[in-house]
Amino acid sequence: MANLNINSKKDNTYDAIVIGSGMSGGWAAKELCEKGLKTLVLERGREVKHVQDYPTTNKMPWEFEHRGAIPEEIKKENPVVSRCYAFREDAQHFFVKDQEHPYVQEKPFDWIRGYQTGGKSLLWARQVQRWSDFDFEGPARDGFAVDWPIRYQDIAPWYSHVEKFIGVSGNKDGRDNLPDGEFLPPFELTAGELYFKDFLRKNYPEREIIVARCAHITGNKEFYAKQGRALCQNRTLCQRGCPFGGYFSSNSSTLPWAANTGNLTMQHHAVVDSIIYDEAKGKATGVRVIDANTNETTEYYAKVIFVNASALNTNLILLNSTSSRFPQGLGNDSGVLGKYVAFHNYRAGISGEYDGLKEYTTEGRRPTSGYFPRFRNVYKQETDFLRGYAAGFSAHRSMITDYSGIGEELEQAITREEYGPWRVGSHMMGETIPKEESQVSLDPNKKDAWGIPQLKVSMDYDANDEAMIKDYLEQMTEMFEAAGFTNIRTRDDKRAPGLDIHEMGGARMGKDPETSVLNKWNQIHSCPNVYVTDGACMTSTSTQNPSLTYMAFAARAVDHAVKNMG
Amino acid sequence: MDRRSAMKQLALLTGGVVLIPACDFSEESILQAHQNLKITASQKELLTQVINTIFPGKVLKPSEELQLPDFVLVMCNDCLDKEQQETFVSGLQQWDAFSKEQFGKKFSQMNSTEAEDCLRTALTMDGKEEEKKSAIGFVNTTKRFALQGYLNSEYFMTEIKPYELVPARFYGSKKIENA
Ligand SMILES: Cc1cc2nc3c(=O)[nH]c(=O)nc-3n(C[C@H](O)[C@H](O)[C@H](O)COP(=O)(O)OP(=O)(O)OC[C@H]3O[C@@H](n4cnc5c(N)ncnc54)[C@H](O)[C@@H]3O)c2cc1C
Ligand code: SF4
Repeated sequence: MANLNINSKKDNTYDAIVIGSGMSGGWAAKELCEKGLKTLVLERGREVKHVQDYPTTNKMPWEFEHRGAIPEEIKKENPVVSRCYAFREDAQHFFVKDQEHPYVQEKPFDWIRGYQTGGKSLLWARQVQRWSDFDFEGPARDGFAVDWPIRYQDIAPWYSHVEKFIGVSGNKDGRDNLPDGEFLPPFELTAGELYFKDFLRKNYPEREIIVARCAHITGNKEFYAKQGRALCQNRTLCQRGCPFGGYFSSNSSTLPWAANTGNLTMQHHAVVDSIIYDEAKGKATGVRVIDANTNETTEYYAKVIFVNASALNTNLILLNSTSSRFPQGLGNDSGVLGKYVAFHNYRAGISGEYDGLKEYTTEGRRPTSGYFPRFRNVYKQETDFLRGYAAGFSAHRSMITDYSGIGEELEQAITREEYGPWRVGSHMMGETIPKEESQVSLDPNKKDAWGIPQLKVSMDYDANDEAMIKDYLEQMTEMFEAAGFTNIRTRDDKRAPGLDIHEMGGARMGKDPETSVLNKWNQIHSCPNVYVTDGACMTSTSTQNPSLTYMAFAARAVDHAVKNMG
Repeated sequence: MDRRSAMKQLALLTGGVVLIPACDFSEESILQAHQNLKITASQKELLTQVINTIFPGKVLKPSEELQLPDFVLVMCNDCLDKEQQETFVSGLQQWDAFSKEQFGKKFSQMNSTEAEDCLRTALTMDGKEEEKKSAIGFVNTTKRFALQGYLNSEYFMTEIKPYELVPARFYGSKKIENA
């Protein structure tokens, strides 16, 4: 018996463990494997192989039973995920349904999850904008959260490292608040967007529309061929998984790359319950895993552990990793674990029409849009609210069809092509302030099917967010009107936090172990062989889509871990 | 081997049957729709007549060739809530009586010109009035789903307005000829 245990302990021992195979975990795994570490990736969901497991990827619209719509019964049973714009018939199999993995909403929170190989990297909108020091210096300048322990120069080389590998299409815009990166050729702005860009240049010289940087391959074919990926073919069906590997996902890129080193072991249906802390050794020695199908518990061991279960699930794992040294959760000496969570404010939007540019239209499809970098409170505080918002902006020529008739009239009408006005639209992406009362915690009573406490989520908008929504709508309306747009409609859809899918924080980085969980290398202050490099590490949220920053943190942390491994 | 058989084979190999969502609407969904909504043969015939009036096939292919009546029923069964379903079904049940009362002739007995006039008028009627609610709800829902089915049919998306799965291009400022 004893021998058996020793053997199984040996069999279950790796150099490194990564919890979660999503966007950030895939990066940790790739870097660890490339540096020669035998790496175990624990993934709670099922296996989704690149291409082979994209069952809808080549379907034509008429091949979907409900032509894309989600049946009423599924919607009724799963109201949270049904509110996500990408939860449609073609990609529904990559989303967690509410029923499958319940959580407790102390305040309304739409938690959108993907439990499978690649996590949400299969589903994302692929927007990747860098942070600048205007973002990293936010908390210190404006007096909220805690100061970030790093600055742009610390992460800039890692942004480059990640961008080169994943492939980022973008334009060098030369903006100090949205630094340029390693870009493949940009997608074009549309004639309508160029018109608005020009209008801004003349009337609001400090404001600019650029084409959003996105994780699509638009050049350097030979380099990406080594990953088995090809040029993006403008299908804009990415959420189904791309047969060309045109956009970045862990499935198409980092995980197969890691596997090619021969150092990767992937374990699916492996639900991490907690991280094992060894009091005698004074460090983490492994993780406790429950088999999702058999409920059997197994322990795996490693010298270093990367936690990449996605922001809130990472909080859950850390909170659930208790020991007599850490009765409140791993690394939680400060008591801030689970607190200061935040999100992006996506509530408001605006649309309108433009009657000019009659001789132009667009052709083909573009997997990105225009982007309005933050212009509020960048160089100095200028409004009655803190921080600011970035915004999407797009303009497309519409086609109009008269569907009102029946019979021959209708048949004639639907065969005709008639150009309508340009349709312009924008949605806000506001920074929210992490606050102590914004928290996730373990529900004292409710457990999931594996006996793990359910996560209780409590975060909400505040007066700062409301003021920002008001300002966004005022500013956009003013600019739209001045640009000659008509039929302007504003909206505040009052969506709950979470639907932005940019939840962050809870295990924030900081200089001081008294007020933060992680140090500047993403190590837990008091348990430095555990690294957290997903959204949980974020000290503040800024306005940019965050995943590029998670990936850069993951690569940077692996570099640090390997250099410091005894 | 075509893609669908390939997928099926894959499903068998991997035991991953659940990963394969239904393709075109299956026989099974059609059957279920008929059963759940309790559609009789004569009601189906009447529905078909309404849909044929919307898409008579004068310029384009007629609706029956696109299996639109089945599509409308599957959508009603799967994508409407209970109340909307009840409205649809009772509207269908009443449709002959309603048209007789409003237009002096049962819809099922109208010739195509009469049917078109009747439907066109019904589609502009205010469905808020209690006694018209079901019938008007029924014709509007039928038109909505029939239109959706037509515009998203293989025929329409290959022969009339071809859909490109792989455009492989994007131009932001394309000059329109004869704009
Ligand atoms: C529709 C949509 C659009 C988006 N658009 C953008 C965008 O344009 N730009 C952007 O930056 N971000 C975008 N996002 C967000 C982006 O997808 C996430 O920020 C990113 O995937 C987070 O990476 P992650 O590794 O932290 O988590 P995930 O990618 O979610 O991966 C986490 C993995 O951990 C696994 N896991 C969880 N708990 C456990 C456990 N206990 N044990 C074992 N495994 C576990 C999960 O199954 C999952 O596979 C979008 C998301 C969605 C859904
Ligand atoms: S837009 Fe590009 S990346 Fe997305 S599915 Fe299409 S080819 Fe693939």
